[in-house]
Amino acid sequence: MEAYFYSRLLSKTGGNKRMSSSKFQWLSSIIFLYLVNQAHGQSRGVPHDLNCITHNLKVWDCSWEALPTINHGTYEICVINSSYPCIRTEKTHFEIPALTFADHEIKINSIHVSGNSVIKFILNERNVSLVPATLQDFNLTADFSTSTLYLKWNDNGSVFPSHSSVIWEIIVQYKEKMEVATVATLNTTLIGKDSVHHWNWTSDIPLECTPHYVKIRYYIDELHFFGQKEWSEWSPLRNISGPPVKENYEVFPRDKVVPVGSNMTFCCVVGEPVLSAQFGKESYSFIRLDRRSVAIKINNITVSPSSGTNVVFTTKSNLYGTVVFAGYPPDIPRKLNCETRDLKEITCSWNAGRPTGFFGPRGTNYILYERFSGRNVTYGRAEEHMNAIHQLIFQMITGQEIYNFTLEANNPLGRSEAVILVNITQRVCPHTPSKLIAKDINSTAIFLYWHLSGNFANINLLCEIEINATYSGQELRNITVRGLETSSYHVYMDKLMPYTMYTFRVRCSSENFWKWSKWSNEKHYLTTEGIPSKGPDIWREWRADGKSVIIYWKPLSLNEANGKILSYNVSYWSEEKTRYLSEIPDSQHKAEIKLDKNDDSDYIISVVAKNSAGSSPPSKITSMEIPNEDIKVEQIVGIGNGILFHWNYDPNMTCDYVIKWCNSTRSEPCLTDWKKFPANSTGALVEYDNFRSGTRYNFFLYGCKNQKYQLLRSILGYTEELAPSVAPNFTVEDTSSDSILVKWEDIPVEDLRGFLRGYLFYFEKGEKGTSKIQGLESGRSDVKVKNITDITQKTLRIVDLQGKTGYHLLLQAYTGGGIGPGKSMYVVTKENSEGLIIAILIPVAVAIFVGVVTSILCYRKREWIKETFYPDIPNPENSKALQFHKSICEGSSTLKTLEMNPCTPNNVEVVETRSVAPKIEEDTEIKSPVTDGPEEGSDAEPENHVVVSYCPPIIEEEIANAGGEEAGSSSQVIYIDIQSMYQPQAKPEEELENHLVGGAGYKPQMHLPVTSTIENIITADDLEKTAGYRPQTNVNAWNLDSPDSPRSIDSNSEIASFGSPCSINSRQFLIPPKDEESPKSSNGGWSFTNFFQNKPND
Amino acid sequence: SLLIPPLSPPVDLQSHSSASSFPHLEAKIRQTHSLARLLTSYAEQLLQEYVQHQGDPFGLPSFSPPGLPVPGLNSPAPTRSGLPTLERLQLDAAALNSLSPLLDTICHLQADLNPFACRLLRRLEDASHQSRALGSAVEVVLGVLGAAPGPPGPHPILPESPGVFLVKLLGYRVCGLYHEWVCCTEGDLDQLMQEGLG
Repeated sequence: MEAYFYSRLLSKTGGNKRMSSSKFQWLSSIIFLYLVNQAHGQSRGVPHDLNCITHNLKVWDCSWEALPTINHGTYEICVINSSYPCIRTEKTHFEIPALTFADHEIKINSIHVSGNSVIKFILNERNVSLVPATLQDFNLTADFSTSTLYLKWNDNGSVFPSHSSVIWEIIVQYKEKMEVATVATLNTTLIGKDSVHHWNWTSDIPLECTPHYVKIRYYIDELHFFGQKEWSEWSPLRNISGPPVKENYEVFPRDKVVPVGSNMTFCCVVGEPVLSAQFGKESYSFIRLDRRSVAIKINNITVSPSSGTNVVFTTKSNLYGTVVFAGYPPDIPRKLNCETRDLKEITCSWNAGRPTGFFGPRGTNYILYERFSGRNVTYGRAEEHMNAIHQLIFQMITGQEIYNFTLEANNPLGRSEAVILVNITQRVCPHTPSKLIAKDINSTAIFLYWHLSGNFANINLLCEIEINATYSGQELRNITVRGLETSSYHVYMDKLMPYTMYTFRVRCSSENFWKWSKWSNEKHYLTTEGIPSKGPDIWREWRADGKSVIIYWKPLSLNEANGKILSYNVSYWSEEKTRYLSEIPDSQHKAEIKLDKNDDSDYIISVVAKNSAGSSPPSKITSMEIPNEDIKVEQIVGIGNGILFHWNYDPNMTCDYVIKWCNSTRSEPCLTDWKKFPANSTGALVEYDNFRSGTRYNFFLYGCKNQKYQLLRSILGYTEELAPSVAPNFTVEDTSSDSILVKWEDIPVEDLRGFLRGYLFYFEKGEKGTSKIQGLESGRSDVKVKNITDITQKTLRIVDLQGKTGYHLLLQAYTGGGIGPGKSMYVVTKENSEGLIIAILIPVAVAIFVGVVTSILCYRKREWIKETFYPDIPNPENSKALQFHKSICEGSSTLKTLEMNPCTPNNVEVVETRSVAPKIEEDTEIKSPVTDGPEEGSDAEPENHVVVSYCPPIIEEEIANAGGEEAGSSSQVIYIDIQSMYQPQAKPEEELENHLVGGAGYKPQMHLPVTSTIENIITADDLEKTAGYRPQTNVNAWNLDSPDSPRSIDSNSEIASFGSPCSINSRQFLIPPKDEESPKSSNGGWSFTNFFQNKPND
Repeated sequence: SLLIPPLSPPVDLQSHSSASSFPHLEAKIRQTHSLARLLTSYAEQLLQEYVQHQGDPFGLPSFSPPGLPVPGLNSPAPTRSGLPTLERLQLDAAALNSLSPLLDTICHLQADLNPFACRLLRRLEDASHQSRALGSAVEVVLGVLGAAPGPPGPHPILPESPGVFLVKLLGYRVCGLYHEWVCCTEGDLDQLMQEGLG
């Protein structure tokens, strides 16, 4: 800067001549002069380094450097070519008013003892720095409840030109370490006069917890100042220390109300060590703020309970705490509605919406503000309930109908509001009408009074009256009445029914309907009596003897009687006379009139009902009927609750139709009730409370012609058919060996309970007491049933039964309503004598016949029988057969009897039965010792068929001699299978003959035991048995046992069989074997009655 | 612990009443003793109800704050066991009478904090009445026995604008004092009955 001054100085001193020199010369000169001046000045203590600043753009404050040697000297400062006077000072700075924007030559003359020296500076605004004055005076305050610092200062704007921009910088520091809490920058504009500026800041740490320090500086950006602009110096540090810590107030902040979700710092300022910190039930680690203070930081605080959330710090000796209340700002009031009940005061109600979580002093306050009138009402400490309805009452202002309400809700966390604009005359919901009174006018009209408080003078009221009568139901009538000032209202109510108990109640609204009031209390009122509106419904019945007629009438209904019927007047008249019966009290509803039915006079009978208001119109009926000969009794079944009748339209019927009915079982006169139907009707449903199902009624349909009735139809009917309640009573009239005649009686009508459709007759054979007929199981084939649909039939004969057999009988009747109970009976049919006789005679006849035939056959075949069964037995003494043994051995040819080639047993078949069971189909061959194997043809069962080759040497010789052709054949004894012997032999006689032809003759069987071979086989016993003559009639050999009987096939019988008649020419047994397969006679269960068993049961 | 055997000479009830009024005195003492016993159980219930509505850590079993001083009312001193029974009853009556307004104040403070804690508020209100009633009953007994009620103690003063936490602590302390003094009264009346009626 000094060089600048010198350059200015030189430029001044050099004049314009130098300006025209070369640049090099000019620059060299400057440098040279500068250096000379420096050397000269310093050497002599002259000022140098002139520096100028300004704090307010009006005064420049310049200072320079000088050697101490001249400190005690004097300076004279002059602004060359200026009106400013020179300044003499002993200091090294001076102040001059701000100079214009140009170069100004400043001459400083240093005056001291050693001599004077003058130095000149060139000074321009560009060389001046704008450094605003340090802000010394600012106000720092604090709101400890909100931990907010408030800074207030004056911008000193009057000093500076207006519209200058100012930048303010504020720094807040806290804690022991002077941490920077915040750095804030503010921009303002100077307005040419002093202005006070404010700044506030809320600390995250309660101000009580630790000191907070504040300093401020600023920067002025003056556009018209061309010098250098700099920040002011920082203001002195100001601090906010907490208020003096009182006893028990060691924890901060105290009783703070914060929004839910806030982050908070709580501190405890105590002189002793803090051991623990707790927020609610949670423990937190704390942070140290300074040597006396610790803090905990809580994030996202949840809603507090009613009494707040406790924050507790615990030291060794004590416990310190505070409470925080976390909740919500008030919700916007919902469903704000304003209406009036009396046009005197307005009731505004609303719903608080979301609960704030605050109660008591922190609860929501409401202010209802009316903008047009500027009035308001308040509502404090709203109780917090979700959807709770709050309300405020605002007194109406006379003449004002339009109201603009603003409802403001506020609590420590904020406020909200709702607005409603209403025309109150259209928002009228009157009070509940009271004091309801009825006053009668006549039997059908009354005045109804009620009281309604409210100022309704300027509006009309719409009221609704509810009328309830027991028999006529509910009716609503709306009326409009002119509003009054808290008064009674009345309305004319007509079209009521006489002598009827009514219940009235009223509610009202304004004519511009908004809401109904509540219903008033009910008012019960009985209207007065009126004359009966019509005569009673009448009917008449003649006595059976035709000597009197009974007139019936029905009581009038309430809406017809119009009051309490006191009596009835009955009169009757003909063309000749009129008679009156005495007054009949209300309790009686019939009267008897002595008339003769045979009298040709027709009377008109009249009945009139009377109450206190008067008499009814007369009801009339003629005494006589129009005869109708063509009446058939019909049947009808109802539809449960009633019976539907149809008839054809008859234009001749001019009055009405009447259906009367009675219980058919009741005695005369038959009248239970009647109903009348219009003349143009063609059907009617007759319903009657006392109709009973299963009860037969007689219905009579009458038509009315010219006021005279004619019976049109007679109908038997049931409203509903039921099954008979009793069983038909039946008896067995007659029984025979194969039939039963039963007879039954009618079921009484009252027990029948429906139209009889038929009978079901069941019968079943069986022992007494074993019947299952009662169950009537379907499909039981042993139970026979007969459905008797001819209801006139009263007997039934059951035929095709078995004699002397028990039968169960059951009879049931059925109607359209079902099958009734049955009556059962047990009957035994009579014994069949003819059958018994036949059963005896037939077997006897058969036996005789068989005997005769047998006798004849035996006689005719006696020779054969004798030959077969009783042949002549030759005398052994005379028989050459006794020489058999010897002759054979001797080979005598004279023994003709031994010439029995055909009978020569060259093959003996032995019947061997191994088991007791009669399996005799198998042939057993006894093998001869010389026989190597089984004979051909017996391979069917070779293991059982043992062929014994037997060749007595003697016979063998004889045979060999007898015929060479058979010499080769072995002589065998064949035990014939007895069963095979009994195989069907078509021609036994022929076979016999063949044997005879083949040289057959008597062949004594005793020759066999003499063989030595046999001796070896047969035991000694057997020998005894077989030795000697065996008559063929030996019962032991062929007794009654059949050949296949066990006896015959006994092991011992092998030999015995050998001596059986098979040894003779015939192999056939005459007595046939027992055939197991033959049918056995069932003689065990047979009886004479079995002759009838082949008959079907029916 | 409150029923320490008396070190002072026993009370002779017969000498303090005529023969005709002795049954009445006996009945009165028994009645007052029954009342004290009943209020002891009520005081326990009140304390339990109170801590339930103050939030944690008041309701925690480990919660045991130091006894907050209540100006004008202290806990029953341990040294009081050395005093004669009638003097102890005089102290009981004075304390019970002092407790009544304290309980009223606590009731009002709790009405702000817990406006819907109806049972707590009712118990506090009842406790105030019952404390006064028991104090009066003890004074009646003392009067019959010829012992004038002690001078009324200084009216307890609660700190102004104490802060919610301190309000809770004070309430806890007052409820605790109420319980202590009712227990003491019951014990002293029991002692009186043992000495005079037994």
